[in-house]
Amino acid sequence: MDLRGKSCKITWLEKFIWGRVKIMLEVQKIDVFYGEIQILKEVSLRVNNGEFVVLLGPNGHGKSTLLKTICGLHPVESGNINFCGSSIIGLSPQKIVASGLIYVAEDRHLFPEMTVMENLKLGAYNFRARDKIDESFDFVFQLFPRLGERKKQLASTLSGGESQMLALGRGIMSCAKFMAIDEPSLGLSPLLRADVFEKITLINKNGIGILLVEQNIERVAAFSDRVYLMEDGKIVFAGTADDALKNKHLKEVLLGIS
Amino acid sequence: MHTLLEILIGGIANSSLYAVMAIGLALVYGISKVFNWAYGSFFTWGAYIAWFLCVGSFQFGYTIAFIVVIPVMFLLGLSVEKIIIRPLRRQKGWEINTMMATLGLALFLDSLARLCFGPYMKSLPLFLEKNIQLGSFVIGLHEIIMFLTSIIMIILLEVFLQKTWTGMCMRAVSQDKIGARMVGIPANKMFGYAFGMSASFVGIAGILLSPKYFITPGGGWDVLIKSYVIIAFGGVGSMKGTLYGAFILGIMESFIVYQFGSMWVMIFWFTTLLGTLIIRPKGLLGTWE
Repeated sequence: MDLRGKSCKITWLEKFIWGRVKIMLEVQKIDVFYGEIQILKEVSLRVNNGEFVVLLGPNGHGKSTLLKTICGLHPVESGNINFCGSSIIGLSPQKIVASGLIYVAEDRHLFPEMTVMENLKLGAYNFRARDKIDESFDFVFQLFPRLGERKKQLASTLSGGESQMLALGRGIMSCAKFMAIDEPSLGLSPLLRADVFEKITLINKNGIGILLVEQNIERVAAFSDRVYLMEDGKIVFAGTADDALKNKHLKEVLLGIS
Repeated sequence: MHTLLEILIGGIANSSLYAVMAIGLALVYGISKVFNWAYGSFFTWGAYIAWFLCVGSFQFGYTIAFIVVIPVMFLLGLSVEKIIIRPLRRQKGWEINTMMATLGLALFLDSLARLCFGPYMKSLPLFLEKNIQLGSFVIGLHEIIMFLTSIIMIILLEVFLQKTWTGMCMRAVSQDKIGARMVGIPANKMFGYAFGMSASFVGIAGILLSPKYFITPGGGWDVLIKSYVIIAFGGVGSMKGTLYGAFILGIMESFIVYQFGSMWVMIFWFTTLLGTLIIRPKGLLGTWE
C-alpha cells in the first residue's frame, strides 16, 4: 500500500535535500534530569532516512523519557539532538511538530470528549498538514477501517485497541516524516498487538521513519532495521535484531531467560 | 399577575447576563485551570470604561462603549495571562501561586479604580429608555437588549468553540493539555485567548448590568461570587449546567428581591448550592474533570 504519492506530497526540493541527508534523527550524548536525578546518561542514537528502529529495555530505565525529550516535552541538560540536519534542542513542541516529528505517547493523551473525527482533525493542526487534511483522512481510514466506522464516537468510549489506532492515526494526520511511538502494544491482546505492529510497518513502508519503544524483542525482531538496548539510562547495545538475539546478556534482559 | 410576570422578565434578563458572566469564568478556569480572582475587577473596569466614554469626559453612545470595551478587555486579559500567569506557571505550586497573584491583581485593580474614578457610586444610563407595550404589560427595551446580547454572545461562543480551529484547540487544551502540546497546539497562546475572551465577556456584562446596579470600585466581588456559585451549582465542566444554573438562580433572585429584599439573595443562593452539592456533589450537570 504505497499512498505516499497521495498524502503529504514531498516536493522535488525536499527529495533532493533529503536524499543527501541520510540521517533523519540524531541524538548526541544527551543528559536528562528529573530534578536532581539523572535519567539519561550520555545517550546517543540515530535513525536514518525511512528506517524502523526499536528501542528496547526494561521498564523505568529511561526509554519514555528519551522519547519525551526528543519531542520537546522535556528539557535537555547537555548534548544535542538533530532532526533532518538541524538542531531541535530548546524548540517548543509546536515547532518540532511543524518540522515533521510527531510523538505518540504511551498514555495516548487523546481528547476524551471529542469525536474520532475531531481528534484526527486536531492531529493536522500544524500548517503543513492542513492543506493535505483530506488526503490524510483517506490514508488513516484505509489503514484503520475500524476508525472509519466510529467517526462520530467520543474518544473516551473507544476500546483499548481502537484508542491506540486513534493515537497512531492522529500522529499520521500531522504529515510527519518521523514518528516516535511509545509502547503501542501495552494493554492489548496478542491479536491486536500483531495488528498494531503490522500497521506501524505499513506506515514505515510509506517512507515515515519510526523510533519504536518496546519491551519485548520477539515481537519486533521481524520488522525492525536496527535495535538499541537501554539499561539504567544508558545505551548498552546497538545493532540489528539478529545480533541482539545472538548476544547472551541481551537474551537474558529481553527475554527473561537466565 | 402583572407583577409576577414583570419579576420573571426582570429575572430572565438578569439571568442571561449572569450566564454570560459565569460562562466567562468557566471558560478561563476550564481551559487554563487558573481561578481568576480578578474576574470581578474586570467586570468593574469594563463598566468604568463604558462610564468614562458615555457619561464622564465624553458623551459617546453605547455602541462606542461596546466597540472600545471588547478589545480593550481582551487585551487586558491577554496581558494578565502573559505577564502575570505565564511566568508563575513554570514553577511548582502554580495553582496556588496564580490564585494569589490574581487576588493581588484584583485588589490592585479595585484600588486603581477608586483612585481614577472616586469612591462614590456611578451609574450608566439605560441603553434605551423606551418600553414596549405587550398587551397590558410593559417590558423595558433595555431588558430585551440584555437578553438578546447575552444569547448572541453565548451562541457565538458555542459556534467558535465547535467550528473554528482556535476554538477546537481551546477545547483540546482543556481536555488534555499534554495531548494538545503533542499535536503541536501552542497551549500558552490558548490560555492567553481564554483569559482575553473571559475578560471581554465579563466586560460586556459590566456594561449591560450597570444601569440597573450602580458601579462601585468594590462591586466586582459580588459578580465573582455569583459567577462562582452559578458554576458550582450548575456543575463544573458543563456549559449547559452553567446555563441552567444561571437561569434558575437568576429567576429565583428576582422573586427573592421582591419578596424579602436583596439582602436575602445570597443566603438563598448559598443554601440552594449547599443543598444541591449534598445531594449531587458534581452540581446539576457537572462532570468530574
